Amino acid sequence: MKDFLLILRTQGSVWTDLSPEQLQKHMEHGMAYIGKLIAEGKLKSASPVDKGSKIITESNGLLTDHPFNESKEVIAGYFLVTANDIDEAVTIAKGNPIFKDIPTKIEVHPMMPVGG
Amino acid sequence: MHKLKENPEINQLVEHFFRHESGKMVAVLTKIFGAENLDLAEDVVQDSLIEAISQWQYKGIPENPSAWLFRVAKNKALNIINREKYKRQYSKEATHFLRSEWTAEPALNLLFSEQQIHDDQLRMIFTCCHPAIKPDSQIALALKTLCGFSIPEIAKAFLTTEENINKRLVRARQKIREDKIPFVVPQGIDLEKRLQTVLETIYLLFNEGYSASKGNEIVRYELCEEAIRLAEIITTDTAIQVKSNAYALQALMQLNASRFKARQDTEGNILTLEEQNRLLWNYGLMEKGFISLEKSIPANQISTFHILATISAYHCSASSYETTDWKAILGLYDNLLKIDNSPVVLLNRSVALSKVNGIAAAITELKKIEGSPSLKLYHLYYSTLGTLYIEVSQFKEAIPMLEKAISLAPLQAEKSLLQHKLNFCHEKKLLQ
Repeated sequence: MKDFLLILRTQGSVWTDLSPEQLQKHMEHGMAYIGKLIAEGKLKSASPVDKGSKIITESNGLLTDHPFNESKEVIAGYFLVTANDIDEAVTIAKGNPIFKDIPTKIEVHPMMPVGG
Repeated sequence: MHKLKENPEINQLVEHFFRHESGKMVAVLTKIFGAENLDLAEDVVQDSLIEAISQWQYKGIPENPSAWLFRVAKNKALNIINREKYKRQYSKEATHFLRSEWTAEPALNLLFSEQQIHDDQLRMIFTCCHPAIKPDSQIALALKTLCGFSIPEIAKAFLTTEENINKRLVRARQKIREDKIPFVVPQGIDLEKRLQTVLETIYLLFNEGYSASKGNEIVRYELCEEAIRLAEIITTDTAIQVKSNAYALQALMQLNASRFKARQDTEGNILTLEEQNRLLWNYGLMEKGFISLEKSIPANQISTFHILATISAYHCSASSYETTDWKAILGLYDNLLKIDNSPVVLLNRSVALSKVNGIAAAITELKKIEGSPSLKLYHLYYSTLGTLYIEVSQFKEAIPMLEKAISLAPLQAEKSLLQHKLNFCHEKKLLQ
C-alpha cells in the first residue's frame, strides 16, 4: 500500500453559480463518496481549501507574499488516500462526484515512502 | 484540516433543505439590510451555504443544521454591517443594536427567532407581490428569494431564457428601490386588498406548474409545492385575521396537486380525469386539502377560489368518474358564473352540463361562445366540442373541431391523443 496525494483544482468562482438545490445535491454526493472511502479504509485525510491563500516568492533574497487571485484557478482541496498502486488511486480520483457538478482537474501524486 | 468523522452520514438533510433555509435567511437578512439591499442578502446566504457544504461534506451534517447555517449567516451579516467600506443604507431599526458589541448577539438571536423568520418570510411575500411590480416579475422574484431557485432553474421552469429571467429580476429589484417599497406586511384595509394580489400571484405560480401544457414534470411539480408552501406561510400567520380566501386557495392547490401524478401514463400521454388511475392520487395531500377547505368556510364572501376548491373536492371525493356528483359540480359552476362569466368558465362548465342536461345542451352552450377572443386559439375549446360530437356520433361535425385542436395543441402528447380520436371519426364516418 502506498499514499497518494489528490489535489483538486477548480475555478475559484464556480460555487457562486450553483443553486441551493445543486449545492445540496453536490454535498450529498460528496458525503457519500467520502463516507465510502472512509469505510474502505482508503482515506487518510482530506480538506477543502479556505479563502485567503497566499503565495510566497523570492527575489534577490527577498521573500514577499502575495494573495492568490481567487477568481482564477485555485486548489479547492486535497485528499490523502492509501491505494495499492497509481491505477487504483486514479480510479478513486475518477470516482469523485465533483466532476459531475463543476469543471475540475484532479492531480494524483504518489508519495515517496520515507523510512524512519 | 478537518478531523474526518467515522460515519459522516448519520444526519441527513431533508429534501430541498438548502432551498427553503435560504428562503428563510434571505428574508431575515432583508429585514436587517433593508429591501433595497436584497442582492446583498442573497450574496450572504449563498456564501453561508458554500461554507456549510465545504464543512459538512467532511465532518458530517451537524445536529441542528438550521442553527449552524443561521450562525454563519449572522456572523457574515455582522461583519458587513461593521465594515465601514460598505456605505449602504441599512434598515435603521434593525441594525441599531447590531452596531454595538454589547447588544449585537441578543439582537441577532431575536432577529433569527422562529417567529421573526416566519414574519420576515411573510413580509417578503408582500414585498415580492407588490402591485407596483409586474406579475411575471413578482413570480420570478418570489421564486428567487423565498424559494431559493436559481436563475437557470426559474428559466427552466418557465421555458424561457436565463437572460429573460434576469431582466425580470433586475426590473423587480429596481422597482423596489425606486418606489421605496417597504419590507412590511400591510395593515388595516390595505391588507385585504394586498392579500388578494398576493394570492393571485401564488395561484399564477401554481398554474405555471400545474398546466399540463409544457415543461419537465418534476420541475413543474416543484412549482406547485412551492406555491402551496407560500400559501401555508400566510395561513399559519396569527396576525392576519381574515384568511378565508387564503385557505380556499390553499385547498384548491392541495386538492389539484394531489392528482398531479396520475395525470400522465408511463409514456407521457395525458390522461383525462376519466382515465386516471385513482389509486395514484396522493391521498395524504388530498386530506390536507379537505382540511384547508373546511377552514376556508367562515367567509363573508365566497371567492372564485372557494368555488374552484369545492369543485376540485367533488372530483377528489368521487370513488370513480362515473359516480362523480355532476349535479353539484354544475351548481358550483353556475355560482362561479355569477362572479366570473368568462368563456373559459363556460367551457369548463360545459362538461358538467353535458353530464346533467345531456350532450346536446352542452354543445348548444359551447356554440354560443364560439369565436370569443379568449377561446379562439385555445385547443381545449375545440377538443371538448369535438369529443362531445363523438359521443353523439356526429363524426362529420367532430372532424373539423379535432383538426383545429390538433393544430393548436402545444404538446405532442396531446396532439397524438387527438389524432387518435380524429382517425376514429374518419373510420366511423365511412361506415355511416
